[in-house]
Amino acid sequence: MHLVVLLKRVLDPEIPQSAFSLDPQHKEPSALRHPFVLSVFDGNALELALRLRDTRAEVRVTALTLGPRAAEDVLRKALALTVDEAVHIVGDEAGLPAGRKARVLAAAIRRLAPADLVLCGRQAADWEAGQLGGMLAEALGLPCLPFVSGLGLAPGGFEAVQQVESGQAVYRVAGPAVLTVTNDPGNVLRPARIRDVMAARGRELTTIPLADLVPGTEGDEAGVETLDLRLPTPRRRAEILDGGDAAETAARLARRLRELGAV
Amino acid sequence: MTNIATAVWAWGGRIPAAGIELVRSAAALAVETGGELGVLALGIGARVAADTLRAAGADLVLTCEEEALDTAPGEAGLAALLASCDVLRPSLVLLPADSLGRDWAPRLGYRLGAGLVTEVTDWSLEDGRPVFQRLVFGGKAIATMRVAGGVAVATARPGAGRRDEPPRAGRGEVRDLGLAIEAQPNWPRLLRRQAEERQGPGLEEARAIVSGGRGLGGPEGFIPLEQLARTLGGAVGASRAAVDEGWAPPSWQIGQTGKTVAPDLYVAVGISGASQHLVGCSRAKTIVAINRDPEAPIFDYARLGVVGDWREVLPALTAALKEMLAD
Ligand SMILES: Cc1cc2nc3c(=O)[nH]c(=O)nc-3n(C[C@H](O)[C@H](O)[C@H](O)COP(=O)(O)OP(=O)(O)OC[C@H]3O[C@@H](n4cnc5c(N)ncnc54)[C@H](O)[C@@H]3O)c2cc1C
Ligand SMILES: Nc1ncnc2c1ncn2[C@@H]1O[C@H](COP(=O)(O)O)[C@@H](O)[C@H]1O
Repeated sequence: MHLVVLLKRVLDPEIPQSAFSLDPQHKEPSALRHPFVLSVFDGNALELALRLRDTRAEVRVTALTLGPRAAEDVLRKALALTVDEAVHIVGDEAGLPAGRKARVLAAAIRRLAPADLVLCGRQAADWEAGQLGGMLAEALGLPCLPFVSGLGLAPGGFEAVQQVESGQAVYRVAGPAVLTVTNDPGNVLRPARIRDVMAARGRELTTIPLADLVPGTEGDEAGVETLDLRLPTPRRRAEILDGGDAAETAARLARRLRELGAV
Repeated sequence: MTNIATAVWAWGGRIPAAGIELVRSAAALAVETGGELGVLALGIGARVAADTLRAAGADLVLTCEEEALDTAPGEAGLAALLASCDVLRPSLVLLPADSLGRDWAPRLGYRLGAGLVTEVTDWSLEDGRPVFQRLVFGGKAIATMRVAGGVAVATARPGAGRRDEPPRAGRGEVRDLGLAIEAQPNWPRLLRRQAEERQGPGLEEARAIVSGGRGLGGPEGFIPLEQLARTLGGAVGASRAAVDEGWAPPSWQIGQTGKTVAPDLYVAVGISGASQHLVGCSRAKTIVAINRDPEAPIFDYARLGVVGDWREVLPALTAALKEMLAD
């Protein structure tokens, strides 16, 4: 059984607003100033795949990324978490239309051993489009189940737990299929063991130049232009209530809430 | 631009408030473009909702009442959307940014060769074409985006494009889509739903919400939170950190990847104020922060703040409000 997990390297989404800056000319954050990490939901997707492998020895996990040389970081991390194979499509993905990106990743997936499931994050923690999973499913001609938080084996395929507004929905997935993954207490990415981190340094990656995959622009959808990228206007500071002791502070807060018509 | 299409879940003839809101916003846009608004109403009993949809501004209501929508809403809904686009020939498809709309939009966009803009918070028309606003980088930046040509597909967050003036009632013609949908063996098939039990109002309707974060330090921190929420007749929410710790179920999560709420009062307890959390509660009328760190970013965002330990502040606040509300 073969699971492919898509991993993207993104600007650390946890940096606070005060440390975040833009490069207005390129309509991108000023990359040089910020650290990069594995996109959060991709970590959840990787964890689901690793958990399935924990239960069954015949499960194989391949990590796949598309990005510049530096994106190798996320594959090293995946290797340190003992994935069986790591594949790097080397190229600049920032300028690719979303549909073409999906076709590039689909072409790479077709070169691998047939995948029973392809897992990716519900949305990348940078531009947060939440579009690649669905488009990849179309490019591969597969069904798609989004917002999966739990995954298990079931007769004839998999059982997947989906997070919806009202709670959860449990689906039978025959596979092959594309799943997009969302966070849940049960799929927080495990830390790597020191021993495995060391071992990962010497392991081989498979690299594929971007230009080898889907060279033309045939089938490209209408493009999306970013006309402007700007910072939100700063807010005013809160009115801080302090009454000495908790009871007096709380009483003041309650009065202010009534004055504001909030209660 | 001319025609606009949208889709609403109308199982049993009931349309969620967010669906009506989306139809209205789409109708307002159709008025501006001089185009027609077609609404695909999905689910058994959808026809019953036609009058409501007409009042909200639909010119043409296409109904699809196929059984497969129940067990495979993603795949069957996509098939219905594709068929409805053949009928409506829209230049803009507006879908809700909920679990179904987010599922359909990328796949529909791919099939139509359309440009896709997701999680839209507002739009305007420039030269007759829609220009979209959306938050990126966890709410730390705002992007303005446009589809360069051809069809546009967008998902709209709650409140996007809301206009105050009531829309004109639409023509309201009702037609069955006439599509038989047979569930395919490789489609993910719904086995069961596990709705969560919740006492009191849901997060989407609640007038008051008390939310807890990692600062609560454990699941027991949610007990005084629930007491305060009950006193206010409100609901309890959570940050993603609290959900990831397993202290609160995922359906309580508020924020960019959780729910978007708009109560009169939002109390954030032990929540630092990450942009991804704030985008879920920014429509609240009054935000109160309780945090022991005076430098927490939430104090740059809240209207009122208390610097202190929730263990002391929460019980005192519940007591003070009980007393005040009893008067
Ligand atoms: C793509 C993406 C999507 C995301 N989506 C969401 C989302 O939808 N919703 C969401 O919430 N987050 C989301 N996040 C996560 C977000 O970035 C933050 O990590 C998260 O909101 C932090 O939660 P927190 O404020 O509870 O925890 P922390 O940031 O750890 O803050 C805890 C706070 O509690 C305070 N505290 C500690 N002890 C006490 C005490 N005794 N009394 C009072 N205060 C105390 C501390 O001072 C601190 O400010 C997302 C992140 C990414 C990358
Ligand atoms: N360049 C990439 N390389 C690998 N995976 C990616 C890449 N871009 C997006 N993905 C995957 O697709 C998910 C959704 O991305 P997006 O649609 O861009 O928000 C991410 O969480 C990743 O799992």
